[in-house]
Amino acid sequence: MYGLDAISAHNGWQLAALGISIVFTCLILLSLAISQIHKALDFWDRRYIYYQRIKKLVQRKHRSEATVSDPVLPKNVKESACQCKLLIERIGEPFPLPRLIDFSKKCGLLNSHSSVNDLLQAKLIIPDGKGYFLWNHEVEKNIKVSMKMNS
Amino acid sequence: MVNLLIEFLSNTGFALAGYQNIVMILVGIVLIYLGIAKGYEPLLLIPIGFGILMGNIPVIRDFGLGIYEKGSFLNYMYYGVMHDIYPPLIFLGVGALTDFSALLARPSLMLLGAAAQVGIFATFLGALALGFAPNEAASIGIIGGADGPTAIFLTAVLAPRLIGPVAIAAYSYMALVPVIQPPIMRLLTSRKERLIKMEEPREVSKKEKLIFPIVGFLLCCFIAPGALPLLGMLFFGNLLKESVVAERLARAARSSIIDTVTILLGVAVGASTQGDIFLTSKSIGIFILGASAFAVATAAGVIFAKFMNLFLRQKINPLIGAAGVSAVPNSARVVQIVGQAEDPTNFLLMHAMAPNISGVIGSAIAAGILWSFLGG
Repeated sequence: MYGLDAISAHNGWQLAALGISIVFTCLILLSLAISQIHKALDFWDRRYIYYQRIKKLVQRKHRSEATVSDPVLPKNVKESACQCKLLIERIGEPFPLPRLIDFSKKCGLLNSHSSVNDLLQAKLIIPDGKGYFLWNHEVEKNIKVSMKMNS
Repeated sequence: MVNLLIEFLSNTGFALAGYQNIVMILVGIVLIYLGIAKGYEPLLLIPIGFGILMGNIPVIRDFGLGIYEKGSFLNYMYYGVMHDIYPPLIFLGVGALTDFSALLARPSLMLLGAAAQVGIFATFLGALALGFAPNEAASIGIIGGADGPTAIFLTAVLAPRLIGPVAIAAYSYMALVPVIQPPIMRLLTSRKERLIKMEEPREVSKKEKLIFPIVGFLLCCFIAPGALPLLGMLFFGNLLKESVVAERLARAARSSIIDTVTILLGVAVGASTQGDIFLTSKSIGIFILGASAFAVATAAGVIFAKFMNLFLRQKINPLIGAAGVSAVPNSARVVQIVGQAEDPTNFLLMHAMAPNISGVIGSAIAAGILWSFLGG
């Protein structure tokens, strides 16, 4: 068999069309991939700079949240914060809330439940997302700063 | 005594030689002449030419001398051809020799290497139309890839009986790139286009060169696994080169290994072209189709470069499209020569290396695709 009949009989048109399409696809994908290599490497080389920028942004955000919560912090809450901080240092972080309450009762802290509740509302004690709680050092720092400024 | 002498004389080459042996010996001498006197791909044409001489010395059958007789010296050499051992080893050396910077600096030029592979598939169709079986047509089409090892690689699995003519055609046309390509390039481009100067490619970092062989290998072989032996060794060789810490291995790959394999491959392929197998109407068809494959591949590269210029702000010189047919680095050199004939201050060699190298990758992918289509 010869000519166009032979090509059609052996699926020549389909094979050729598919073949050249795959070659093009492969080389187009490869060219796209390698055109991004230097950008990816550039990003990798600057990863510390980007990390620092993100860290600063997060810190700034935390600070602004803390300054908003600070002015409404009454004196008795600040006192319970000082006491609770010592207790938390003893029991370690992260800690379960009932343990902090028990420990504060044993140590003779008055109104343990309401004190801990005040600290939760003031965001001095924050959940870690896994069922435990952490002491919020950022908010604590802001409280100290504002106390210094007030005095 | 007289009987012994008569028997001896009847076993000599003079008594056994047929006209086919004589013709093939002349072909071998022409190839050696082209390699030595004209300097056309001497590293390939001299071993192949001498292989043709070795393969066409008429010997008594079943004497353990012929290339197709099991256990003969030539048969052992031929083993590496038939079992696709030599082509990937040559690719290892090519990878260890090649600098991919030009490609990494301007990846869009890779498309020219893809466009030139049109020659393979167009010739595949042409060979089918001329009555060749699909596996034979694919082996003939791959000549358009202008890559000897790739042509041998595919032919060994699809049409082993055609290895001789396909390999000779591929290497001969690769040697004749400076003769075949320039008229087509001039025909398809205007003087204004040939004068286009391209901007300097950006500098490529060491890290980019290191990452490329890994990314290239994974991407290409996930899409076309049939190209694994060739591209695997190509990118591995390049990784050895770029890693610097494996310089000893890279040096071995680009010198002793590639040289040894070139000798073995050349002689074995040459010796496989015995007159009675080689001098057939099929071989003539293969040579005609091989030449057209080269021409179509060159034309497709140039035309695609012109097509790309329709969309590009920074125009590319369409001559570099001709380098999309592998033939590293001959076709890139031809681009440089044709470009400089118009403007001696125009340096296109570096730019042409990008499509030239992508042509190597493209033809290996095309071989892998044809193998997966027709190998089963």
